[in-house]
Amino acid sequence: MDSSQYADLFLTESREHLSAINQWLLQLEREGAASGAEAVSAIFRGVHTVKGMSATMGYVAVAELSHELETLLDRVRRGELGVNAELMDLLFRSADVLEASIEGAVANRTVPTDDVLRRLRAFGETRPVAPPAAVEEAASPNEWTVPAPSGSGTLVRVRLTREAPLKGVRAFLVVQALRRLGDVHVVNPPLASLQAEQFVHDFALRLATTVSEAEIERVARGAGDVAAVRIGEDGAPVAARPSSSTESKSTMTEAPRTSSAIDREKVASRMQPVREPPTEPSPMPRAIDLAAEAGETASVRQSRHVRIDLRRLDSLMNLIGELVITRGRLLQIATGLDDPALADSVTQASRLIGDLRDEIMTSRMVPVWQVFDRFPRLVRDASRSLGKRIEFTIEGKDIELDRSMLDEIGDPIVHLLRNAIDHGIETPEERAAAGKAAAGKLRLSAERDRSAVVIRVSDDGRGIDRERVLARAKLSGLVDSSKTSLSDDELLRLIARPGFSTAEKVTDLSGRGVGIDAVYTRVRALGGAVDIRSHPGQGTTATLRLPLTLAIVRALLARAANEVYAIPLTHVSETVELQPAALRTLQGREVLVLRSDVLPVLRLRALVGLPRREAVMAGQPNEQVVIIDLPDRRIGLVVDELAGQQEIVVKQFDGVKDGLSFFGGATILGNGSPALIVDVSSFP
Amino acid sequence: MSHTVLICDDAIFMRTMVGDILSQAGFEVVGEAETGVQAVEKYKQLKPDLVTMDIVMPDMGGIDAVREICKHDPQAKILMCSAMGQQALVVEAIQAGAKDFVVKPFQPSRVLEAVQRVLG
Repeated sequence: MDSSQYADLFLTESREHLSAINQWLLQLEREGAASGAEAVSAIFRGVHTVKGMSATMGYVAVAELSHELETLLDRVRRGELGVNAELMDLLFRSADVLEASIEGAVANRTVPTDDVLRRLRAFGETRPVAPPAAVEEAASPNEWTVPAPSGSGTLVRVRLTREAPLKGVRAFLVVQALRRLGDVHVVNPPLASLQAEQFVHDFALRLATTVSEAEIERVARGAGDVAAVRIGEDGAPVAARPSSSTESKSTMTEAPRTSSAIDREKVASRMQPVREPPTEPSPMPRAIDLAAEAGETASVRQSRHVRIDLRRLDSLMNLIGELVITRGRLLQIATGLDDPALADSVTQASRLIGDLRDEIMTSRMVPVWQVFDRFPRLVRDASRSLGKRIEFTIEGKDIELDRSMLDEIGDPIVHLLRNAIDHGIETPEERAAAGKAAAGKLRLSAERDRSAVVIRVSDDGRGIDRERVLARAKLSGLVDSSKTSLSDDELLRLIARPGFSTAEKVTDLSGRGVGIDAVYTRVRALGGAVDIRSHPGQGTTATLRLPLTLAIVRALLARAANEVYAIPLTHVSETVELQPAALRTLQGREVLVLRSDVLPVLRLRALVGLPRREAVMAGQPNEQVVIIDLPDRRIGLVVDELAGQQEIVVKQFDGVKDGLSFFGGATILGNGSPALIVDVSSFP
Repeated sequence: MSHTVLICDDAIFMRTMVGDILSQAGFEVVGEAETGVQAVEKYKQLKPDLVTMDIVMPDMGGIDAVREICKHDPQAKILMCSAMGQQALVVEAIQAGAKDFVVKPFQPSRVLEAVQRVLG
């Protein structure tokens, strides 16, 4: 079957299971086997589901790995294996490899699984691996291999098809079906062996029945996967009816034979449930049923969910964005025309568009746990590799955020967590020496604050080492060498500088010179803000303030030559006309004197690689300065002219990001022309 | 009138796939259940002609669900959806009242054959 259409579904659902498996693994590790029964069952179920899905998709490696993992978990579930560090290590490792092989399978990449497969198979193995009951594979598929069982009744031989899955169960179903025709006396191989799949492909039994051979064959074949049925004695016919001696023998071991009259009755009664045509409920009671259940059904319906491809939601969001922009233009035009009827309709349409936008935005909201749930595992691994003890708590898991915002925010949070584990929280020894509890506290929280979501990462570690930051800043000439202390804001500004890091050595976790600055860049690109407060010896708290959605923002439109650029209003404090007299040069840089302030000046033309505007000609208006307020500084951005304000729909860039680092995206304006969005927080 | 089906599996992936196979064959999927408890509830509510039942589900497994459904309706036609290595569980399900089984990975033809046997 063409499974490609299911690949997305497979991936999404497998990831969810992997995430849940990791959660349960952590719980199992915390609580041990005693209270971990629920965890083991849940992990087992997750792995089992992944196995079924991957087998269906034809992802053999994933299916094989999940099968082995499931086998091991089953032994844990039965209490054959205890939960210890060695087991946990293997389970965590297996979950990682499973995840990798799932991603690999979907991307058509091979992920090596041999090592973990070997470990899974060998784990806690005390008994030799019993090969499945040796069956004579050499047997020809057309052969009848079992001797006829002796006894009374009609000899029935059944051979299953070669490809029949779960042959043992199928044999059981065949036997069960035949039992409806009469007593089954002996089965060879015995039923227990059949169920354990200890047979080649055929079995024989004796059936006491009065129905025709054709009927026996029909019933046997009706059980499915039957390749052949042979009824009657082998070779030279033996007496069809049992002799009295065999009969007496059979009474000793089998149920006593009944008279054929009772036999028939019994057969008939047993057949009833199967033979009776399915009872079609008459229309009347059916209708009444439906009416009676209508209320119940409605309540079930309320909680129904539909899965929607994220791209469809994105395109809805884009469309509503365009609509919002068009609304702006409509309102403008309507105001100009001064027609009360038109103004009325436009106002109403405008309100509806607003409602629609809110509704669509709500449909894109997902709870943060979808991303937060992978962090406990990360914290565990990171703290272990560093020999630290950390109590990690998550709060506000159910707070909702726009789907694409949530996708973007995962990495910055990882950076912050890693920073806290790597640099913030001390080793148990250091903590003891400082009079702190051996285990450090690390807390991740999300809360809603008006139209923003606030995410905090806080630890009770040593805090940012201001001395070292200061020393390093002096070394790089970032601060005056006479400076003796750093304020919170100064500290923040320094550590947010690209490439600034105080880590003494590069570790796996952080300290590659990316970290806080990467967080800054990303969060600002999302239209959010970062704040970091650190107290020596007490810990550090990083606060990310994010808009609920990154799709629609209000922006100031500014022109450079013939191009229009959008400047998000979040950071614009005012605009002023540029008076040439207000421009000065200070230490080789152009600055603007605004009231009592001196601001560095940037020119939009320079940023986009255009030549400076020719000297102002007579009659041409002066250039404009957009005053940009960032948490740590103010900048004057010189533009040719202003072109009004608009709600714009932010569209992510593809590809050209490296070359245009001052731009955070693009948008389509109300008149249909494209415009780049200026990311003021990236200004030097 | 086409036969109605209730699909019980904790994986959306599996429900989608089984649902596709059956609806392409002209069945009407009237409900889906993610847990054994839901399967029993929905069976009572929807009275489907056929139930496909996963064995391993949270909140009451498939076998217990079969038992409950058959207690409520001995005529219930339930097809077990199993994986390799579950023979003992499938036998248990059949003893509990399930009529037949299919093994993952599903091949549409095999699923439809089994469904015909169960409904036959």
